[in-house]
Amino acid sequence: MTHELLNGLTSAEAKQVLGLGTRLIIPAGTELFRLGDAADRLFLTERGRIRLTLPMQVRSREEDIFVEERSPGQTVGWSALIPPYRFTLTATASLHEAEVIALPREALQGYFAANPAAGYKIALNLAVVIGHRLQLFQTMWVREMQRTVEVRSV
Amino acid sequence: MEMLLMGLCMSVFGLGIAALAFGAATRSQSSDSSSNSKVQPQLPLVQAATPARFFSDRAGATPTVPPVISPQQVPIEVLLLQIENHVRMEQAAAEVFIAFPSQARLHSKTTSPFVN
Repeated sequence: MTHELLNGLTSAEAKQVLGLGTRLIIPAGTELFRLGDAADRLFLTERGRIRLTLPMQVRSREEDIFVEERSPGQTVGWSALIPPYRFTLTATASLHEAEVIALPREALQGYFAANPAAGYKIALNLAVVIGHRLQLFQTMWVREMQRTVEVRSV
Repeated sequence: MEMLLMGLCMSVFGLGIAALAFGAATRSQSSDSSSNSKVQPQLPLVQAATPARFFSDRAGATPTVPPVISPQQVPIEVLLLQIENHVRMEQAAAEVFIAFPSQARLHSKTTSPFVN
């Protein structure tokens, strides 16, 4: 399994980082974390899919609206490394059971301090993950705005 | 001889009645056709739009219009699924833009039924 967060690391470094974590099995439909929860762990998806959702009012009911889905090899919950360390989405295992590796923030920060070269690579990989999310949502936002403007201009 | 004459009279009388009936029938037809040839009656539009139906073509039948389903009538599960499909389609469009940025790709029209 190749994890996007561990790109460029030697196999020894990757093994060391994975050794910091704990494997978790998430039954189908079970929440991994909820929006607003304290984010003290980052997750690497090993198996299954994780749905990321945001609450939205639909017909006066609060519904979890699909935002994104993370596949094996992808990172979930990078809020654990970004202040104020609170999750900004809700993560749930999709239709099938999922397996993730939970990496505690403190353990990761300790590893980065002891292995700055590996920490630098992980930080760059994290920037790619966050940057992609930013580009994706920026594009979706401007497309939605464009539609709103077109509707109002008619 | 009397019988023969009576039969002949009856035949001539019957022939006369038949001729009168025929004359009356053809006169009404010809007057109808002459009036038709003068002015072509306009067919009602609704009738033209009515789809042909076997065994149930009635002159006065009104066309069946499918009931309009308002968004409120769509079950919430269906609505949530529509939203999810819309988000997935928009993400796919955004991914294409990120891979090959251009103004045309940024504002490419979505085919998502949720907003169309």
